[in-house]
Amino acid sequence: MQKHKTVNAAVNSWIVLIFLSVMAIYLPTFIDNRSHYIICALIIVMLKGQQIVDVFMELNNAPKFWRLLFLSYIVLLPLIISVIYLL
Amino acid sequence: MISPAITTASPDEVRPDKKRPDEKYSDKKLPGDLAMWFFILAELTVFALFFIGFAVSEQLNKEMFTQGKAQLHQTAGLINTIALITSSFFVALALNVMHQAKAKQAVWLLLTAKAFAIIYIAVKIWEYFSLFAQDITIETNTFFTLYFLITAFHLMHVLLGMVILAFIAHSAWRDKYHNKDLAGFESGTSYWHMVDLLWIILFPLIYVI
Repeated sequence: MQKHKTVNAAVNSWIVLIFLSVMAIYLPTFIDNRSHYIICALIIVMLKGQQIVDVFMELNNAPKFWRLLFLSYIVLLPLIISVIYLL
Repeated sequence: MISPAITTASPDEVRPDKKRPDEKYSDKKLPGDLAMWFFILAELTVFALFFIGFAVSEQLNKEMFTQGKAQLHQTAGLINTIALITSSFFVALALNVMHQAKAKQAVWLLLTAKAFAIIYIAVKIWEYFSLFAQDITIETNTFFTLYFLITAFHLMHVLLGMVILAFIAHSAWRDKYHNKDLAGFESGTSYWHMVDLLWIILFPLIYVI
């Protein structure tokens, strides 16, 4: 049962990742304001990163320290980049 | 002197609801070797510096970077994103079937993952040659210097990842992994997911924003 759960989680993640990637490309057609667009694009990066870290890398089953370390990378780096772009 | 109460107590007498301190985190295990995770952290740090450097350079040369990005092929970038994500997905499935001791099935999943990685490489090489055809090289301007440096550095990691996938696939085919000892296999798959993780930051930064 656990294995089926893992496969289902991977399939769901794959669908979410593909959807978010396509959405990132078409964001400018929905959002005119560049600042808003940058923020949305970087939020998408965070969401995609979380899926890869937790589901593909299986860090959701790893010690909390390692999971938080990698999640902080995919949150902090887009934050730093957005601050640079929005300054 | 050792207390008789301790020496006579058998494991069966321990209360089932009371976990030993070392049991507390027994179900939380870092996949693969610790050394690989430190290596991955080092790689992520190097790329973080590249990405921050790229963003700062863009703020200093906004017009040049806007023109440069307009010359890139966004659809090629999207195809590469889909190829790497799908490749990573098959690698995750391969690890899953390895946990069920289905080594041969894992090898086929790894080969499928490698096929998607080959799509990535083919598209990337096509992209480079289409830029060269327009007389755009690494020396054209700061944007293209950073573009070629960062994407080529990432491409090197994809190539190294493919070698690692080939190695673990070969080892799995020869039944060198056992159900309880998949550290080498897990290390290889973790490296591949890192390559994917880097691309999902690189793609919007260079192609989209």
